[in-house]
Amino acid sequence: MIQIQNLHVRYQTERGEVYAVRGIDLDVKQGQFFTLLGPSGCGKTTTLRSVAGLERPFEGEIVVGDQPVLSCRRKIYVPPYKRDIGMVFQSYAIWPHMNVFENVAFPLRESKKRFSSDEIRTRVRKALAMVQLGGLEDRPAPFLSGGQQQRLALARALVKEPRVLLLDEPLSNLDAKLREETRFEMRELVKRLGITTLYVTHDQLEALTMSDVIAVMDSGRIVQQGTPLEIYGAPQDRFVANFIGLSNFLEGRVKRTGQPGDVETPSGTIKCVLPDGIAAGEAVVVVIRPEDVNLDAGAVGQNENVLEGKIEAIVYMGDALECQVAVGTKLIRLKLHPSSPVARGNTVRLRLPAGSCRAVRA
Amino acid sequence: MVGESLRHHLWQHGIFLLILFLVLAPLSFLILGSFSTARLPGDFSLDKMGLVNYLKVYTDPGTYELFTNTVIYVAGSALVGISLAVSLAWLVERTNMPGKIFLYAGVPMTLAVPGMLQAMAWVLLLSPRIGFINQLLKDLFGPDAPVIDVYSLGGMIFLEGLRLVPTAFLMLVPLMRSMDPSLEEAAAVSGARPLSTLRKVTLRLLAPALVAVMIYQAMTALEVFEIPGILGLPAGIYVFSTKIYAIVRTATFMPVYGQANALAMVYLFIAVGTTFLYTRMIGRAERYTIITGKGYRPRQLDLGKWKIPALACALLFLFLSIMLPFLVFLYASFLPYLQAPSWNVFKIMTLKNYRLLAEYGEVASALKNTVLMVGATATATVVLSFIVSFIVIRSKFWGRKLLDQMAFMPHAIPGIVMGIAFFWLFLKLDFLPLYGTIWAISIGFTISFLAYGTRSMNAALLQIHKELEEAAYVSGAPPWRTMWRIFVPLLMPTLMGVWIWVVLHAVRIAGMPLMLYEGPKNQVLAILIWNMWDEGYVPAVAAIGTLLMLVLLALTVAVRLLGFRRQATQVVGG
Repeated sequence: MIQIQNLHVRYQTERGEVYAVRGIDLDVKQGQFFTLLGPSGCGKTTTLRSVAGLERPFEGEIVVGDQPVLSCRRKIYVPPYKRDIGMVFQSYAIWPHMNVFENVAFPLRESKKRFSSDEIRTRVRKALAMVQLGGLEDRPAPFLSGGQQQRLALARALVKEPRVLLLDEPLSNLDAKLREETRFEMRELVKRLGITTLYVTHDQLEALTMSDVIAVMDSGRIVQQGTPLEIYGAPQDRFVANFIGLSNFLEGRVKRTGQPGDVETPSGTIKCVLPDGIAAGEAVVVVIRPEDVNLDAGAVGQNENVLEGKIEAIVYMGDALECQVAVGTKLIRLKLHPSSPVARGNTVRLRLPAGSCRAVRA
Repeated sequence: MVGESLRHHLWQHGIFLLILFLVLAPLSFLILGSFSTARLPGDFSLDKMGLVNYLKVYTDPGTYELFTNTVIYVAGSALVGISLAVSLAWLVERTNMPGKIFLYAGVPMTLAVPGMLQAMAWVLLLSPRIGFINQLLKDLFGPDAPVIDVYSLGGMIFLEGLRLVPTAFLMLVPLMRSMDPSLEEAAAVSGARPLSTLRKVTLRLLAPALVAVMIYQAMTALEVFEIPGILGLPAGIYVFSTKIYAIVRTATFMPVYGQANALAMVYLFIAVGTTFLYTRMIGRAERYTIITGKGYRPRQLDLGKWKIPALACALLFLFLSIMLPFLVFLYASFLPYLQAPSWNVFKIMTLKNYRLLAEYGEVASALKNTVLMVGATATATVVLSFIVSFIVIRSKFWGRKLLDQMAFMPHAIPGIVMGIAFFWLFLKLDFLPLYGTIWAISIGFTISFLAYGTRSMNAALLQIHKELEEAAYVSGAPPWRTMWRIFVPLLMPTLMGVWIWVVLHAVRIAGMPLMLYEGPKNQVLAILIWNMWDEGYVPAVAAIGTLLMLVLLALTVAVRLLGFRRQATQVVGG
């Protein structure tokens, strides 16, 4: 539904030129919820805005549906108002001089296709009901709460029934509680409508809970693309492991290839999953999530690593205890049940299942 | 994509070239004319060029007197203006003086009184022979009583000083209001008494802003033609603006246009220099970040037994600035012939002057000309400023920075210089049927007001979140529809505000129209008043002036109300 090939975007700011997107390829399938995830300045919003036509890339091709909207090779640039898209902005961009009804009716009134005023009324009502804003038609837009404005923006983006919905951090201006509720509602809605969605966020939780596919971006490039399970469970890159969730990193060198393979680290030899095609002697980083580290209890399984260390710090987090255990010169973090019987200064043995330890190229 | 982008930006290039032409063409003619040795602009040719005009101007001892007069007049009125404005702003913002509402409402109203009329009113009060006050002094103390002569540098300084107050007051009030009170509280807990806190902390912190405001006032005083025109010309006291006017318009011998241009060049350089200084000072003032943007109310000094005297002084300013000129005009407009107030006068008062206005054909035609000229100027300024600001703020047009500077440049050009420049331009571009029409005046004003218009629009456009515009594009609205349905309604208060501001100014400025004046065909109200005053029809001038002041007052109230509404919607929207 959305194909992007070799996209490059540069733009000017007061502080000089920014090379925001440096060669992006992606393919969003019909009905998919596709998320661009990354830290600020990684080029995710610029990519989204290029799909909307709000940025002018200097290289690349973009196809939305079956319409080529950008082709620098063939000198095609379709302006935003001729693209079959709906978009929700980070600020919601609700026009303050119009009421709720007029905000939603705007895309219909500006459409190439003429709508009768009856049809406009029906469609606006339907769109507002969809986002639970029915009955607020005559409310002046500035008199809406943040959550209502967000839903109004969504209704405005959907009213024309576009083939593609673009969402630019639509939840970042809501408070934490509302954000959590809205996450599910929003995914439900777009899934029900079957609309192809391109979503931009810097919030990993949003990305993991809402998406079918996540593309993690850094410095204008996609570093890993996959399902939420793949992105969280099998990061292929130190950046991804670091950006999504908490991770422990153990630097080392491959000692023996195989599945599991062995990696020699200052904290000892670790049995772990190795990346494809790696050779012995190559530098790697072993990544392990804090929740995958257990305290030793009973017999050690065949595919487990055991490290010995001393508890340096315990932080009570409410739903968990976070321990920092010094293993050699390295601090390893682990997440325990809050009732775990641990104390600062205890010497403990850590169990790291080999299947949860993943080596990535350093 | 070059071809495509050129097509896309065709209208932007069009506006760019238009502004470039409108600003640079008159200036080039001004410069060329200053080197012209031909006697008349019509005889101008590139063979007859030389430095004669500059030599004449530089060797004329009158030029140095002119220079001294201008410096004394500008510095004096700026000093009077800033002292009054600071005192008033301090009284309303930082003390517990009662009746502040009179000042908040009244001071901006003084903007409504045209300088020309204010000066004329003071002539009626303080002219050595006919001035009411001087006559009163003679009645009280005999024929040898000292007279106060308003036809003097002192008179000009006093009056221009009064006129500089409202703008400076409006600039200073927000500064005083939003100043972080903890800076002063820190001085207080360090043991400083209230007055030494005021002197050592408050005023020091405000100093850069005060200097900037003062330079702004100096720019205004330098530019003004009407006050020195009414008060200085009859006594032969010239400043730059009136001297140039005198060379071109009132010389008994053949006017020497080239010399007027050469003098205008000197004048222009001084004005541009002052403007440059002002923009530099603004940059420096911003470095003192005493304003943190939080809405707090600074502590107010208890005036104690000085409360009532302070209010009396503040009200005296309002009386001298608005009430007195208005009362003088109202009184004179009912007189069959000019005389000082006495009990007998009330018996012979008449409406004859008002009736005369209705019958006198020139008034009707001047009124029609004024309405057309002012309406065209205000509309053109609003539309042009909007488009220029839109390109400057919202487009990626390559020349947007330059366009912005071009639009701001006329701000530094005094009205008289603009007038003489356009005089040359329209005279030489005789294929355009503009010379001697009200449209010539309209074009001149539009360029002059473009600086104000674009500054207001730039600020307003920056307030509009970019995503409000982009949301319209992705909703299917092409650029011109976006402009119409998003920008115009959102900017309506600014568009209206600029429109009324331009009307208020275009109606009362006499300097530039006088330079372009040719006869009844392009006579506007300001020129008519000027001419009638010159010819001595004082009661008739008083009748027109009274009516004009009432209209301008109503418009000023409208601007204030619009301003309040804008603030209200910003609060709701924000």
